Amino acid sequence: MPVQGLRTVAAARNGVGAFILQCKRLDFNYCTHGGSSRGMLAFLTQTLPDFARENPQIEIRVAPRHNKHPVIKGQYINGKEKAICVRNMEPGEILKKAMILKDASGDKLKRTKKPVTSLNESVRGIWSPYHGDMRGV
Amino acid sequence: MKRLQLQRWSSTVLSPRARTSNRLHQHLCSSSLRHQSTVAAVQESTPELKYRLNNAHKRSANLQYPSPPVNAALDSAKLASLHARLYLPSRLPLQTLARTLVDASADSNVDFNNESLATLGHDLLTYYTSEHLLCTYPRLPLSVVFAAMYAYVGPKTLAAMSKEWGVDLATLPGGEVDPGYLQFKRVPPGTVLDAETEQNGKRKNWRKTVTSKVVYDDEFGDPIKGSSNSSVGVPAELARATSVRALMGAIYLHAGRPAAKLFFEQHFLSRSLNISQLFNFSQPARDLTRLCARENFEKPVAKIISETGRLSRHPVFVVGIFSGQDKLGEGAGASLLEARERAALAALKGWYLYSPLNVRVPSSMEEEGASPWNPAHVDLGEVIS
Repeated sequence: MPVQGLRTVAAARNGVGAFILQCKRLDFNYCTHGGSSRGMLAFLTQTLPDFARENPQIEIRVAPRHNKHPVIKGQYINGKEKAICVRNMEPGEILKKAMILKDASGDKLKRTKKPVTSLNESVRGIWSPYHGDMRGV
Repeated sequence: MKRLQLQRWSSTVLSPRARTSNRLHQHLCSSSLRHQSTVAAVQESTPELKYRLNNAHKRSANLQYPSPPVNAALDSAKLASLHARLYLPSRLPLQTLARTLVDASADSNVDFNNESLATLGHDLLTYYTSEHLLCTYPRLPLSVVFAAMYAYVGPKTLAAMSKEWGVDLATLPGGEVDPGYLQFKRVPPGTVLDAETEQNGKRKNWRKTVTSKVVYDDEFGDPIKGSSNSSVGVPAELARATSVRALMGAIYLHAGRPAAKLFFEQHFLSRSLNISQLFNFSQPARDLTRLCARENFEKPVAKIISETGRLSRHPVFVVGIFSGQDKLGEGAGASLLEARERAALAALKGWYLYSPLNVRVPSSMEEEGASPWNPAHVDLGEVIS
């Protein structure tokens, strides 16, 4: 056998070709008689239809959750879930929280130490001590 | 996911206003003033109650079907969000998208499962991938072409893509399931999947040459299996791969060739694959000698370019392979032999990974206003030693 092929799986690069929004589903929970849900109820009736129309990639569920604070939960493609409690918030604030969940990737928050992370190897290559002329000191 | 039968308790749990219909609840709430106020709301909301009851009946009527009925696709939020998430063309209807998610093991009726779409999609995917590989890297050895095909459109990659698209699996297929879930019959635990290959440790065929793989085997160099018995069930990976193929076929049928090609480029070709890592040489130096003999190059000679610490614990040798005045490749290693092997490997990869400038694929001629076709580079082929 002169040369054999090794089987691998091509790695995904989200956003290089198509961009897949990582937020799959947003659950909006509210309570009908609790005071902390007042802003949430206004948000559900006024803002949510437009939000849903602008983000058709996200499945939206609205469900009552009685005698509890209102919560927005995001389900992500990596299987994780993120929840934000929106008690006593105005509809504008709730929209901001929904946008946070929408834009999140679902991963845990990580500190990025390197300015660039890439699958490609460096164009310049690694410096080698065995090549090039000796420099005078 | 197979849904619970909501029919009986949907009126009590889902709708807070319908509580009077439940005797137990009436009994519980009889002492509470506040709940009595909700009882008053029942008379106002009878249309909603009726709607919910009707829906519950509809759902139970769907139980008789092996897969969700066609009109259920329009009500599924999951399906609509998947359609938008993948930027599918608007000419691809939700009903067809729902059909691509029904495996043949869930619904054996070919009018409702994705088998036919998957056949078309598989052909398109392998065609687009193979023309891309053959035109971009005309000198690739066939075994590496097989591996690259597997990496781009093999079942593992397709299953990973389906996961990355956020397609969820149904626990059990059925007519009442949300059509946004991928429906297939699961393999019962303990089933031997590769029953044919493991017959008492005996191999069925002894074909090993690449040429025989071209003739007899599929596009990944695997022996072609007969039609699998899908009544037993299919693995999730295979069901996912089939649904991705079916989606490709569905886009081609509904939105046409340009949309299918665009979908392929955006979702498949955009994945990252380092082809130089797919090579597995056993005798690189010998292959290189054969190659030079075939191409009428001078015989390759290995020369030390630089070295350090020959007598130390960590020597490093940098060896170049030269054919006459031309340096074919260079490699560094801890011994002279290792460095020479690496250099020969670099030289062979340099030859095999040649890629012409301005690559065009044959299917680009199908576009409107395409410039005249220049013949693509066709190579002699790999070195056989």
